[in-house]
Parts: sequence; structure tokens; C-alpha cells
Amino acid sequence: MRLLIIEDEDRLSGILKSKLGDVGFTVDIARSAADAGAALELINYDAAVLDLGLPDGDGLAVLAAARRIGKALPILILTARDAVEDRVAGLNAGADDYLTKPFAMTELIARIKALLRRPGGVLGITLEAGNVSLDTVGRELTVAGIPVRLSRQELAVLEQMMRRFGRIVPKAVLEEKLYGIDEEPDSNTIPVHVHHLRRQLEAANADLAIHTVRGVGYILSETKE
Amino acid sequence: MNRRIRSLQLRLTIELAALFFLASCLAIAGLIYSASLTAGSLADRELALRAEDLAGHVSLDEAGKPRLELPPGLRQAYDTSAQQSVFAILDRDGRLVEASTPELAAMIARSPPADSEPSYFQLSNFGPLARDYSGVSVRLDSAAGPLSMLVAQVSGGGQLVHSILREFVFDIAWYVPAFVAVALLLAAYSVRRSLRPLRTASAQASAIGPGSIALRLPEADVPTEALPLVIAVNRALDRLEEGFTIQRRFTANAAHELRTPLTIITARLDSLEGNGQLFALREEVGRMNRLVEQLLCVARLDSVALDVFSPVDLRQVAEEVVGSMAHLALACDRTIALTGAEHPVLITGNAAAIEDALRNLVENALAHTAPGTEVIVDVGGGTLSVLDNGPGIPAHDRPHIFDRFWRAKGVRTAGAGLGLAIVVEIARVHGASIDVSDRSPHGTRFDLRFRPV
Repeated sequence: MRLLIIEDEDRLSGILKSKLGDVGFTVDIARSAADAGAALELINYDAAVLDLGLPDGDGLAVLAAARRIGKALPILILTARDAVEDRVAGLNAGADDYLTKPFAMTELIARIKALLRRPGGVLGITLEAGNVSLDTVGRELTVAGIPVRLSRQELAVLEQMMRRFGRIVPKAVLEEKLYGIDEEPDSNTIPVHVHHLRRQLEAANADLAIHTVRGVGYILSETKE
Repeated sequence: MNRRIRSLQLRLTIELAALFFLASCLAIAGLIYSASLTAGSLADRELALRAEDLAGHVSLDEAGKPRLELPPGLRQAYDTSAQQSVFAILDRDGRLVEASTPELAAMIARSPPADSEPSYFQLSNFGPLARDYSGVSVRLDSAAGPLSMLVAQVSGGGQLVHSILREFVFDIAWYVPAFVAVALLLAAYSVRRSLRPLRTASAQASAIGPGSIALRLPEADVPTEALPLVIAVNRALDRLEEGFTIQRRFTANAAHELRTPLTIITARLDSLEGNGQLFALREEVGRMNRLVEQLLCVARLDSVALDVFSPVDLRQVAEEVVGSMAHLALACDRTIALTGAEHPVLITGNAAAIEDALRNLVENALAHTAPGTEVIVDVGGGTLSVLDNGPGIPAHDRPHIFDRFWRAKGVRTAGAGLGLAIVVEIARVHGASIDVSDRSPHGTRFDLRFRPV
């Protein structure tokens, strides 16, 4: 899998390249908006990491240009936390995700992988978290290699949570995903599915825990030892 | 100048009052003097007229001797024993024509011949009644040839004139205090009015602070005398503002520049395999990251005018913050929840800044509560609240918790003491209020109340 890192800070891009290389990515580095534009046109990257603060121009322009020439690759933007406007503008301009600086390497890798696992992404169809593995096409779940049977609703909830592993999954997102499956979804539907899902995961000895963030949604994480 | 009186207005008023008083006294004295002069000359004129009148009644008798023939009324006036008016007349040969009193006859005999130019004199203790007289000696032509006339009248004969004068003076004297008072009031009003631009400038000056350093004193309408001071103060403010701006830019730049190396350190540490020391190091770098973020936030709040006029949905802000901080809360064994309104709560403000404020409040709550407890973010009508089950904030610490870099004594926390200072600053630019209260049985509640739309 080939990634393009668009970052003008050499030390940072060097680390990114070596770390992403360690987990199996082939990484190219573009130091400027001009380089990035040329590279994106020439090579079909699987994903790009774009720093919005570039010396020769706006990272947003790179983003817009890539989308204009029909590049559908997932793009993750790096921004400073105080540049909220950039973040919003970036997502509006077609970025798929964002990370605020300074970020943890593991977080970046997880985000890139999540992007590549999206429908149409190159990272296959299997989501993995802890000892749980979910085939998003075959709808098959295994916990520590043992198949577990779940309802369609529970699978849909779990898939969303695994796609956003370690991050909040708003209740509204789950409701939206269940809309086509449940006949009459109401405000109590989601908690009921989550409750069942928890019990099933527990019964199957999965090392995942679903935490409720009252009023907002859920977070899937690995259980602490 | 009286050093105890510091008020320019009072000083000017007092000085003007003194000046008015002095000027009125001088004017009255002058008036009295010139009036008494007039009175004197009126008395002199009366004497001369009387002499002429007497001369007009002198004629030659059959023997060719000069004789005074007064009409009965007039003679009666001169003959009164009061001797109010006296006279003596000599003919051209120096013989006495007639005298109203022997003393005056004796006197005219002793006097040098009178001149046609009247000469005035004063007599004191004169005559049998020992009274004071004013008199005139003059030579006048008559039907009986030139006569030497001596006419005198008791001094103060112009009493009428003097009484009029006295009345006049007393009337004027009566008006003086009133006049001074009115003039004083007018002067005080005018002084006050002239000083108004200075008061405006003072009001403006008291509004100048670290948060409003661009304000200047108004130079228009300021009196010429005070203008150099106002201009000098404004120049001084210019220089201060410049220094301030440099200072703020430096803080912002420093924090910004610290980010990249911190990101690199964070990334390198993440990639290292190691023991507990490495873990401690990562934690420390995490703190430093947070501190740099907060410093940057403070610097930005200080230097950039925040746009606080966009519609903001407090519910959405709270959802965003609770969602993004949930994993942090879980990581440190606390739970976080969002309660309150489930529909949009709209206010006017800056969503990113309010997010920052709420994030800092939540961070503060997470840092000061025990593991296993819950931090609640509550959305009310125009209010964001953060509730915890911590130990609460002692009353003596409350006044300080919003100060920059303040930390409770004896409390071990990772924070630098900037979080709540950021909250208070964001509240300030929004015109919002921030309140701290106790929860029952224990815990703290922060309420960030925004102005209604």
C-alpha cells in the first residue's frame, strides 16, 4: 500500500516515513503543494496524509486539486488544534478525517488503517480489534478464531464501533445505520442492541469492552488487563 | 497656590470669587468717591447761586447807597436763629452793606477783597452756635456796582444729596453678594464645562487595560493646555501597545514553534520499546504538549480579537467535547456523561472558543476527582455546566482558581494552572459569566452562562 505524506517539516516526515514503513506502508514524501500535486497526478496512492500548513501554498488547495482531477483516495489532514476553521474547511473540501497536532503515532496509524478499510478502501474487508475479527462482506465474526453468531443489528453496531475503534460512536450514527434494518427504531432500540452485543462479546471471551458515554454514544476499547 | 486644594475646578472658582469680590468692592469705592465729589461740587454750586441771588437783590437807595432788599420769604430764611445760611456783603468801597451775623461782618472786614473767581472755604466752630460752615467768597456785579460777597452754609447742607448717595451705596452693597454669587455660579458652570473633555478622557483612560490596549484618550475638544499631556499619554500607550504586541506574538510563536519538536518527540517515544521510565517520559511529554496547547490558546485569546457573533449550538459543542474527551476519561478510569437539553440550544458566540472553554473545564474536573467517579456536562438554556463528585473547592481558594498559573497547594495535578484562566478569558470575550458552587454531598459545579440571544 502506497501512501503520500505531504509535510514540509523534514524531521516529522522522516519519522512518519519510518514508522509507517514499519507497519507495511510504502511512503513517499512531498515537501510542498507543488510536489504534492505532481505526485498525486502521477501515482495512484492508496491514501494521503496532508499537513495543511505548507510553505508554498494552502494544503486545502492540494486537497481541492486532487478531488478536481477525480482522485478518490482517502486523505487525512493534519492541523493545529487552534485552526478549527482549517479543520472544518478541510472536511468540507473533501478530507476524510483529521488529526490535530501533536498526535500519537499509533493514533495516526489506526486512522489511516480505518480509512483504508472503508468500503472501497484497499485494506480488505476484515476489521480487527483485540481478539475480535469481523468480515464486513461475509458478515462473519470470530472471537479468538471461534465463530460467533450475532443478529444483523448487533453486527451493524459492532462494525461501526470497530471502524471507529477507541473513538466515540455517536448514537445518531448507529441509529442511521440501523434504520434500514430495524422495522421501527425508537430511542430505546440502540441501548437494547448494545446491551445484547455486550453480553455476546462477554460470553465469547472477547477482550473488547463497550463503554457508554451517557448522552452521546459509545466507545469500543480493549479491556484492561 | 494653596496646596491643599487639588481640584482645578474648585481652585479656579475660589480665585474667581475672590477676584469678583475685590472688583466689586473697588467699583463701589470708586462710585462712592466720585459721587461724594459730585455732592461737594453741587454744594459749591448752591453757594455760588445763593451769592448771585443775594447780589441780584442789592440796589442803590435814594441816597445812592447800596442796600439789600430781600423778599420777605427769603429774608425769613436768612433770619432764622438757626443761622443755617449766613452772608455778608461789602460794597465797592469796602463798606458793609449787610451781614446776617456780626461774626461774619467782622470776618469779611478782615478778609482780603474778593475776586471774581469764587474761592471756597471752610469754617469750624464758627459763630455763637459753634457750627461748621462751608462758604464762598466772590466778587459779583450788581445794580449797585461790584460787591464782595461772603456766603456760608452749615456743612452737610447737601444732606439730601448725601442721603441719596448713602441709599444708593447701600442698595448697591446689597446687590454685591448676590452679584458675586451669580457670577460665581456662572464661573463654576463654565469651568466645569471646560473641564468636561478632561473628564471624558479620564473615563476613557480607566477603560484601558490589558484586554483593551488599543484604546486611546480622545484628543478632540481637549483644552489646549491639557492637550500636550493627553498626546503624551497616547504616545506612551502606543509604545506600551507595541511592546505588548511583541510580547504576545512571541508567546504565540514560541508555543507554535514548540509544537513540531514536541510532535517529533512524541512520535519517537511512541516507537520506542522500553520500561516504566519510558512510560513516565511519555506522560511527561503529554503534559508538555497540553501545556503548549494551553499557552498557545492563552496567547491567541490575548492577541486575536475573537469573532463571537456566530450562531453556536451549545448542545452540539457539548456533544463534540464529551465525545472527544470520552476516551481520555476512560483512560483514567472516570466516566463522562452529557445531560440536559436534547435539542439545539442556540446562542451567539465562537464555537471553537466555547469548545476550548468546556474542554478545559472537563479536564479540570477529571484531574481533581477520584477514579471511578463521573463528570457530567449539562446543557441548559444558554448554560453549559460541568459537575463532578470531587472534594470541592475550599472557599479560600475560590478567588484564585481563575488566575493564570495558580494551583491549589498540596494538590498534585499535571496541569499548569492555565485551564481555568482560559475559561474565564473565553467567558469574558463572550460576555458570559462563570460561577463555581458546591454540590451536595460533595463535588463542584461550574456554570458558564451565556447572554441570551
